[in-house]
Amino acid sequence: MTTPTPLSIGPRRGSIACVGMGITLGSHLTPLARNCIETADVVFAALSDYVVELWLRRLHPDVRSLQPYYRPGKSRMKTYREWVEVMIAEVRAGRRVCAVFYGHPGIFAWSPHKVIELARAEGYPAYMEPGVSAEDCLYADLGIDPGRVGCQHLEASQLLFFERALDTTGHVILWQLGVVGDRSLGRFRTPDAYRELLVERLCADYPADHEVIVYRAPTLPIEGPHIQRMPLRDFAAAEFTGQETLVLPPAHALKPNVAMRARLDALDAVYGTGAEPTVTA
Amino acid sequence: MRDTVELLEAIGRDASLRRASPEELARALEADGASPALLEMAVHGDSAALTAELGLKHMHVEHQSQTGGHEEVDPDEPGDDGDDEGDEEPNERHDDTNDPSAA
Repeated sequence: MTTPTPLSIGPRRGSIACVGMGITLGSHLTPLARNCIETADVVFAALSDYVVELWLRRLHPDVRSLQPYYRPGKSRMKTYREWVEVMIAEVRAGRRVCAVFYGHPGIFAWSPHKVIELARAEGYPAYMEPGVSAEDCLYADLGIDPGRVGCQHLEASQLLFFERALDTTGHVILWQLGVVGDRSLGRFRTPDAYRELLVERLCADYPADHEVIVYRAPTLPIEGPHIQRMPLRDFAAAEFTGQETLVLPPAHALKPNVAMRARLDALDAVYGTGAEPTVTA
Repeated sequence: MRDTVELLEAIGRDASLRRASPEELARALEADGASPALLEMAVHGDSAALTAELGLKHMHVEHQSQTGGHEEVDPDEPGDDGDDEGDEEPNERHDDTNDPSAA
């Protein structure tokens, strides 16, 4: 394997790039993210599949997994702060740091945003390179175009902690179901009863027999997407590893905005409708 | 000969194999000398042997705390969502536009 030599851009100083590994091994890593990894002095890794971590270790001789910082009962916020501390310490030591997160490093991930903010505040170059996210895979595997009727993405617990309004005319997609309802931040999995409570909340907006989709993107390329369809009422009993996402398709048709359409009619009368003029014989 | 990790990465970047049927995948893997564990998972979806072969570990995938969760019972640090901005008790919060990691 040939490790690219980074271009010389002046005196050596610490820096950090937070990059996305993508979801599926071999399929999603961008050329730029790969180059960030290969040219770094040290690589930190927070990945979703141990095989992917094994592969990453072949790209660079100094890969440091962030997984050992997790501990049952320990607030995950403490874990994330520790991640920031170990990453920024290497930046301050003048090293070129690459932090690799599964999927996209800026989606449902606190420490990449925080370490970039901190590094920039201290005058170090710091940036984020996007990756293929679980959301991207979901659109492709389920055939959902978020531009058609819209998509509302929420961390699932917010539906239990807060009064959130759901737009049932678009897709509603709920994430981090494995820890739904956990206020301690110390659990890696909440009991099924917490998902039953989520169903109860969702039934305030959807009929219990509304078909929902439980989705998990494949991390290994010999797997297909994991897709389960079921009535909403049965969601809590779905096969569940903790990495699934809940998709609620639209329950209602879009309602025309009569007032705004009338305003548009008035504007069209002044500016034209944009349609081709009718050709008369 | 490529080992299991290399083979998996190679399949991931091969358009003809990434969407291949289990039978097609099995033929390609056998031709490449894949381990029985990798073949078992590719054909039958059973990861037990692959877990043993590679010493696979469980990975935690949550990289963000739940907005509005309590980090700990500490009256000086209520409802910290980690961003050090506008932290409040869950039942006092109605919006979190400061959360930098919302999708």
